[in-house]
Amino acid sequence: MATDFEFRKQVLDMHMSGVIKYCYQCNRCTDYCPVAEVTDNAYNPRQNILNALLGFKDAIFSAEKIAIWGCTVCDTCDEVCPQNIELTEIFKLLKNHSVASGDAPDFYYLQAKTIFENAKAVPSQPAIERRREQLGLPAVAAPDINELTTLLKNMGIDKKLKGE
Amino acid sequence: MAEFKMFEGCMIGNRIPFIEASCRKVFDKLGIATSQAPFSCCPDPTGFANFDNDGWLAVGARNLALAESEGKDIISLCNGCSNTLKLVNHTLKHDSFKKDKINAELAKIGKEYKGTIDVKHFVSVLKGELEKIKSSTVKPLSGLKVACHPGCHYMRPSEVMETDDPMHPIDLKEIVTACGATVVDYGEEVLCCGSSVSNAYEDHGMAILKKKMDAVKKAGADCLVVNCPACFQQFDGKQRDLSKKFEEEFKIPILYISELIALGMGIPADELGTKFHRTRVSDILEKIG
Repeated sequence: MATDFEFRKQVLDMHMSGVIKYCYQCNRCTDYCPVAEVTDNAYNPRQNILNALLGFKDAIFSAEKIAIWGCTVCDTCDEVCPQNIELTEIFKLLKNHSVASGDAPDFYYLQAKTIFENAKAVPSQPAIERRREQLGLPAVAAPDINELTTLLKNMGIDKKLKGE
Repeated sequence: MAEFKMFEGCMIGNRIPFIEASCRKVFDKLGIATSQAPFSCCPDPTGFANFDNDGWLAVGARNLALAESEGKDIISLCNGCSNTLKLVNHTLKHDSFKKDKINAELAKIGKEYKGTIDVKHFVSVLKGELEKIKSSTVKPLSGLKVACHPGCHYMRPSEVMETDDPMHPIDLKEIVTACGATVVDYGEEVLCCGSSVSNAYEDHGMAILKKKMDAVKKAGADCLVVNCPACFQQFDGKQRDLSKKFEEEFKIPILYISELIALGMGIPADELGTKFHRTRVSDILEKIG
């Protein structure tokens, strides 16, 4: 298995203090992970940290998608890690890479497209607007969709969307 | 108390607005003043952050800038929104390289992030008003057995959220107790609701949900109280599917903490829109009387 040094640098840069280097594979993250438990470790945070630290990019991204995307972002691993490693930050980097390669589960592209086009992950709809009125609620203050789309376009986010 | 900018979030504002109704009524009774702003999606810390971190930081920073321009703190009704806004605020306050990068993008749309306001989850604010909640409770909820689910992002990651003990949270329990109800421990208080993993792997989310609901049922709770719309949707909306999948009845009413407080304050269930819950809450309403 080969180390991708550029990828390894990105992983190490996620923690200014370099705490990820102190991972001694105690497995506490996986022991506490609710997804590891119900998937018989098909999702395994400890393995992801090991591969990321060693720069084993191919091992991470050629595995089944669940190896990265099984994370439910509960941040439990961050809290139980005896070395204070912010695992979720490393996993976010892995997921960002997966998205950029076009390999993420559909949900993530769909949600990003909805936000790009509506400035909200759950856009407003007439039936709910009526319900808000019935409940005596003010209308939701409408976001500036144009401004948000411009911001995301300037950052090249539109190029990562699917079906564009 | 100074006025907050209300950040109701997409899910509450545009899908389950009855939760906003109970929050607003409780805020009014407690003297918590709010006003609106044209916020966009926070955006989702379990979705869009994983799509593109810098895009997530920029959109979050733009929302913070909107509140900063009025010099007001944000009050969030949602774990996800408060998680994103606090994480973005924290990251940009501690990483000047990122802050400069994001501000360069914001400058192109005429905005600037300064880092001058705070973000509060409404449960943290309510926790500071326990005496007022006690004195405004006119309907005794005594005898009502309540299981609490504060949800992951209310208190984790703890260095950033700075709210509650990340693995043994008490804030929600204290509020429930202030309402006169009885907290029931069920041993899985800090277990995730399974919402986020469900976005790609429905079965795994259901397996986690099952573990949670089994524990709540076994503890004999009359209801499960939450303070996050994603958790609410998972527990309230998916309970029927869970029953079908595992051929087992749960029938556990789910209440937003604001609904429980409002019921204790004597606000009629009709005004709270409890009929819009997917899992019936009529047993609870009868019990409260």
